[in-house]
Amino acid sequence: MSWPATRITLRLRRTGTLSAAVGLIAVMAAVGALFPAVGHTIGKLNVPAGVANLLGGADYGTITGWFRSEIAEIYGPLVIAALAITSAAAATAGEEEDRILALVLAHPIRRSRLVAAKAAAIALIVFVIAFAVWVGLIVGVAVGGGGITFVHMTALAVQLGFFGLASGAVALALGAGTGRRSLAVGGAAAVAILGWLINSFAPLVTAITWLKYLTLFYYYAGYDPLARGIGFPGLTVLGLVTLALTATAIITFERRDLRA
Amino acid sequence: MHAVSADAVIVTSGLSKDYGVGRGLFGLDLEVGRGEVFGFLGPNGAGKSTTMRLLLDLIKPTFGSARVLGLDAARESLEIRRRVGFLPGDWTLYPKLTGRVVLDYLAQLRGGVDERVRDALVERFDVELDRPIRQLSTGNRQKLGLVQAFMHEPEVLILDEPIAGLDPLVQQSFHALLREVSAQGRTVFLSSHTLSEVERVTDRLAILRQGRLVVVDSLENLRKVAVQRLEIEFAESVDADQFLALAGVKEVQANGRTVTIGFEGSADPVVKAIAAYQVLSIRPREDDLEDIFLRYYQESPA
Repeated sequence: MSWPATRITLRLRRTGTLSAAVGLIAVMAAVGALFPAVGHTIGKLNVPAGVANLLGGADYGTITGWFRSEIAEIYGPLVIAALAITSAAAATAGEEEDRILALVLAHPIRRSRLVAAKAAAIALIVFVIAFAVWVGLIVGVAVGGGGITFVHMTALAVQLGFFGLASGAVALALGAGTGRRSLAVGGAAAVAILGWLINSFAPLVTAITWLKYLTLFYYYAGYDPLARGIGFPGLTVLGLVTLALTATAIITFERRDLRA
Repeated sequence: MHAVSADAVIVTSGLSKDYGVGRGLFGLDLEVGRGEVFGFLGPNGAGKSTTMRLLLDLIKPTFGSARVLGLDAARESLEIRRRVGFLPGDWTLYPKLTGRVVLDYLAQLRGGVDERVRDALVERFDVELDRPIRQLSTGNRQKLGLVQAFMHEPEVLILDEPIAGLDPLVQQSFHALLREVSAQGRTVFLSSHTLSEVERVTDRLAILRQGRLVVVDSLENLRKVAVQRLEIEFAESVDADQFLALAGVKEVQANGRTVTIGFEGSADPVVKAIAAYQVLSIRPREDDLEDIFLRYYQESPA
């Protein structure tokens, strides 16, 4: 670890992270405020199963269903994955493409420590976003009239945080392994979006149901944390994936040539 | 093989980096002594930056090896990097941050530097510390780069195109700094693609061409074989071709009453010959590095 490298990475992402956090809380408060109206109108409609699944198993009749489809299935993972992925890609491949790493690595710092320092910064960014989701849930649910337990709100934030870590680790491994920012962002975003699509459609198409086990999204949302609490097997998988990908990032970066 | 001198600070043996299609660095054998200011010259793409990156373990050699301060460039890089200052070519660092923040960060990566040394350098080069780097001109950014390379008083300085973008006044103060550093027994390895940038400061220089070392010698010796050019303005038109017959003359170009004569060795035959006419002015043209390249290129067996 190298604290200076962690600090400077955080400094560079500070504005983006804090504005995303504030934005999340505001949006979730607004989502909460909309629930009383939505719950009594759209919530009573009979939506086709396919559309309902795409909207996150839409059940707009309960506040849990409402927050699940609006925040847990779409907005939360979108924001946390976007921040984790762009931060991880910028901190590794981005700095390499901008020729910053050539100077930094001419200093007495091991490559492994540098990657570890960047990974720690990204983990902190993810933590801030997950924390904002937690605060946003508390505020939003309160505004919407209550109805989700504190434990279940915490469970979603924790599960989402682990999803952010794993998504960021994909970008970290791609970025540190190849030194190409577009590949790191594109690859990690593809993993996240495909995962979301597969989980949305898998319940409808039995032939691809098994595919969901290959997605990060399933281990985040598959247990339905907002309704059932923390899914420890899912957390374990996400945690192991994060560790394995970070180790991969360190090992490949240690061995390869820095790009010119 | 010759014995490596005890005073050698940078030694490469057969150092190679093959990027394919003839690009890279091939079999570089080089020795730079303690306290030397060593110029590493060549056109863009000749392998200068590749060599420097190999010395700092930013890339790994395909063949061969390098030692800096007696340490193996691949296995003991951390200790080398502790004792070396590096200015990458065309360097940038976090465009949104100020020079002060960036210098602080780089100093922290070294576990701290003597602030008096850093402040003296900042003052010497008149560096702007409180503006974001992206707002700095090329020259001002380069000055910041020099401060970070020198601020920990490294034993060896590896500077890739350090003079690029510096205005003449700053160049002078940079040259003075190099002389001081060299007098303290510290070693400078700097690259350039033009001779004029380095001729006043280097003790010896190496010329690299297409990844291969063409020559290593003192500037004095290289000069002897370099083509010199004189631009002579006559009072009236003269037959320029007559100068071609003079001993040592390689080329003659006429442009109205102005004739440029390129020659090797002594200027005496040329001076004697033009004395027959009324001469309004004689201007020496800068030695052209390309001529030196060409000279060695022609001599080396294809």
